[in-house]
Amino acid sequence: MRRARLVAALTGMVTALLLQAALIAPVSAPWPVSLPAVVVAAVALVDGPAAGMSFGFATGLLADLGSNHPAGVLALCWLGVGLLCGMVADRRSVRRDAVTAGLVCAVGTAAATIVLAVTHSGASGRDAVVYLAPTASGDVVLALGALALVRRMLRSESLRAPHPVYTEIVVAGRRG
Amino acid sequence: MLAAVALCFITLDLGGGGLREAHSGVRGTLGSLYRGTDALLGPARRWMEGVPSAGTNQATIDSLRNENAQLRGRIAALEADERTAGQLSTLQHAASTSGNTLLPARVIAFGPGQGFDWTVTLDVGTGDGVAVGQTVTDGAGLVGRVLHADSATSVVLLAADPGSGVGVRDVRTGEIGVASGQGADGFGFTPLSPDATVDVGDQLVTGPNGASSYVSGILVGTVRTVRTSADGTVRATVQPTASPTAVDLVAVVLNTDGGTLASRGGR
Repeated sequence: MRRARLVAALTGMVTALLLQAALIAPVSAPWPVSLPAVVVAAVALVDGPAAGMSFGFATGLLADLGSNHPAGVLALCWLGVGLLCGMVADRRSVRRDAVTAGLVCAVGTAAATIVLAVTHSGASGRDAVVYLAPTASGDVVLALGALALVRRMLRSESLRAPHPVYTEIVVAGRRG
Repeated sequence: MLAAVALCFITLDLGGGGLREAHSGVRGTLGSLYRGTDALLGPARRWMEGVPSAGTNQATIDSLRNENAQLRGRIAALEADERTAGQLSTLQHAASTSGNTLLPARVIAFGPGQGFDWTVTLDVGTGDGVAVGQTVTDGAGLVGRVLHADSATSVVLLAADPGSGVGVRDVRTGEIGVASGQGADGFGFTPLSPDATVDVGDQLVTGPNGASSYVSGILVGTVRTVRTSADGTVRATVQPTASPTAVDLVAVVLNTDGGTLASRGGR
């Protein structure tokens, strides 16, 4: 992985977590709208499932270690968000991708809530259902802005993912 | 493979704190970053929180309600004093000489667990005298208790956290019970005595020393509804005095003697 992409990924992770704690969470409370999850989805929609899974796992693990619940919960759920978004990405319509990101993130958040309820880590299984719709709405709104920004950054010259170059050999038939 | 690694982390953390140092390290680092971020984003956050009531007298109304709740709490406490005047005088004297100190603090981040944990991060830590287990109040009511403390920041578990319980006392009747956190819905109150009577409007304060891990005498909330089940068990819902989703300026009770906050007149 190029150094520029690695630095950009770390910066994006920390920035998303800081904005979530300082701005998004207090304004959207009690709905668990999650900016880091939306950023994971955006990366997956632009760069594919592999990048989405890796970024989602790393971001989720960092968020887990900075919280009181067991490490690995958000890492597992956001890994799933990255995988799913990468597989169903449209890459032609920003609005369609933003709706996809919002829905998948809301489902990922609900899954994390259920896991935390099962492990008795303070969440309520009822909240997973009650907050699903408002969380999806909030995530879609965030995704509209985040997706455009992530798309612009990851398609720039310095951050674009290296792709293999295929060379096609065309043999033209001769007509006598 | 990443999924397997994530499951290993979950198992390891649930199994017995093998990642405690990692949690502490990351929390400390993020706490420092939250302090810096709050200087920049705090004004924007407070502006956005105030938008719904912009252009109205809501801020003045909330301030008057807060003051009214404090005064009603003091009146109820004085009425309880008439019933047990001798004991309360002894307790007030002991509390006023115990050296309770209030440390003001500002909330700089909410729930580092992405909305699952009912916690807030404060801009004070062990360097300011904060220790794990200390009570946090917003001046009118109970906010929570310190869960973790780093050198410059601390994490407070809100009393409204689902799964948490607060030992409380009904100011009107003196009955002791447990107020269980219910998130944004406030608290659920269950008195210990099956014969206890609970009325709508009763005020609950943190329980007497020994019955609660919080400093005693802090207003927790007001009974909103009361329901008696078929077996006679009384359950009530409680409107919290301190909003669990709109805390900003709070105070940490730097108390190790278990004194009574109300006896020093609050903040």
